[in-house]
Amino acid sequence: MGLAGAEIRRAKLRFGLLTGAVSLLVFLVLLLSTLSAALVGALVGALEGLRADGLVYADFARDNIAASRMAPDVLDAVAAVPGVGSYGAVGTFTTAAVIDGAQVDVQVFGFDQGAPGAPSGLVDGALPTGPGEAAVDGGGVAIGDVVTLDPAGTELTVVGLLRGAQFNAIPTMYVDSGTYADAFTGTNPGLPFVPINAVAFDVTEGSDPAQVASDITATVPGVTGYTRDEAVSLIPGIESISQSFGILVGLTFVIGIVVIGFFFLILTVQKLKPFTLLRAIGTSTGRLAATVAIQITLVVLIASAIAVGLTLLAVRGLNTGLPVSIEPSLIIGVVVSVWVFSLLAGLLSIRRIARIDPASAVGAR
Amino acid sequence: MNDPVVEATDSAPGGDGPSPVSDAPLHPGALLQVRDVSKVYGSGHTAVTALDAATMSVEQGEFVALLGPSGSGKTTLISIIGGLLAATSGTVTVGDVDVTQLSKRDLTRFRAEQVGFVFQSANLVPFLTARENLLYVATLVKTPKKAAQQRADQLLEELGLADRAKNLPEQLSGGERQRVAIGRALMNDPDLVLVDEPTAALDTALGRQVVQLLRREIKDRGKTGIMVTHDLRMVEYTDRVFEILDGHLTHVEEPSALQH
Repeated sequence: MGLAGAEIRRAKLRFGLLTGAVSLLVFLVLLLSTLSAALVGALVGALEGLRADGLVYADFARDNIAASRMAPDVLDAVAAVPGVGSYGAVGTFTTAAVIDGAQVDVQVFGFDQGAPGAPSGLVDGALPTGPGEAAVDGGGVAIGDVVTLDPAGTELTVVGLLRGAQFNAIPTMYVDSGTYADAFTGTNPGLPFVPINAVAFDVTEGSDPAQVASDITATVPGVTGYTRDEAVSLIPGIESISQSFGILVGLTFVIGIVVIGFFFLILTVQKLKPFTLLRAIGTSTGRLAATVAIQITLVVLIASAIAVGLTLLAVRGLNTGLPVSIEPSLIIGVVVSVWVFSLLAGLLSIRRIARIDPASAVGAR
Repeated sequence: MNDPVVEATDSAPGGDGPSPVSDAPLHPGALLQVRDVSKVYGSGHTAVTALDAATMSVEQGEFVALLGPSGSGKTTLISIIGGLLAATSGTVTVGDVDVTQLSKRDLTRFRAEQVGFVFQSANLVPFLTARENLLYVATLVKTPKKAAQQRADQLLEELGLADRAKNLPEQLSGGERQRVAIGRALMNDPDLVLVDEPTAALDTALGRQVVQLLRREIKDRGKTGIMVTHDLRMVEYTDRVFEILDGHLTHVEEPSALQH
């Protein structure tokens, strides 16, 4: 017979309320984390998932692929840098499109077949292999749907569906370089050539992508080389968005832990008489501490299960316009963190238990 | 109430003529031996002597009363005997165990295995039923579950609480709570049962019932019991009486002569 379980059984309302409060806090942490990941993913997923060791932008672009414009001959200059293995042009622009009869903004990415710069995250169908084909993330499209780009009138047939490959949090279409050139010139007529926004490159075996990126910056005039991770982290606004969500999630987390810690401290103080009796009749401090730890664990586990359920419902029910999905690793991470830090908060109670003088059971002090 | 064990050696301080009290010398072989135990709280000018060189011995199977007014030191003595409080000097042995030499950890085990406590207040765990209060202490000494259940049921039956086994303390009367506490004190078959003011919250009739029951259980099981009380009416159920006044312990030869 465990003291922890017996007390919970006899104080269902008290522990039920605590479990409810903790589950709401865990739910908030999970939902904020999920939305944060979804928003950041929708903003930069295209670059995060780009199959390349590094990227090269025009140096005036200030780390922003959308602001970068380079002439196609930059490809040869980049290719000549030692350590660069394969490479490919990446172009991107924002335009309007008609999807399912409605006009929406879309991001179009063009990449060279078989070269670095292709997207990842294919969940259905295939990447485009010919003119007029597109792999799409977002917009509610299905394979076989036709998307018309405005004002160029380019028609794209959806051949693949992607996840985590959006850019700027709008539907994102990946096409081959030829289709991209047609769409771009249709949208921007009169240009002498189709500019490229980035050169995606893989390094040769044994080369360090950061070093190669640095060498590209140093040797190719007018460009800046980045590793892919650098390129993602330097996208304007991403850091402040991540930090803002981080503060929200962190504060919610800390408040939750403090609530749990104080609650169990209050419970402990309320139980000082029975705890003193238990110490007097031969219960070790360790056993009483274990009682608190078991109760914290039970409360956190049950609350977490409720919170995960609420989060799944919320992710399905909320129409954020973002491709939101809840990751098992996030759930495990949050639940384990809440549990560990709750136990640490429980040390407040355990410290109080350790100070119990069993002699006070008979008023001998 | 004759005393086969203790012989009077001298009179109490300040006594005139034939005295009803005497110091309480040791008797070799007694289960409980308290030798020159003192307890001083504080130090220097603020030092307060709660217990002054107390000496007593109690045989196995004896049920003795420890009388004294509030603040006299009787609770201090019982706490030192039960391993709840450390003595400033002197020794306490229970059987072969020198309680005053035990570490904190060993004292905890000593209390679980060798002492049964009945306190006047905070006596039961409020979120455990009567039966669970008994079963819990069995877990402290790792008694097999089935044996513990049988013993708890038997004790509750003997104490007239079989139909109250599933009740929480708040659902029991004061007398029933004390009876459950007696059962809990006997659950681990301890050598020593220490009882602190068991009738404090009970009326006279109920108090007598509880003390009678306590005596019967202690005697039937051959345990050694010490009952702290300020209620002179309860001493008739004990074998011998000790009295503490201002920290000085004496053996009362003629309890009937006591008046407070």
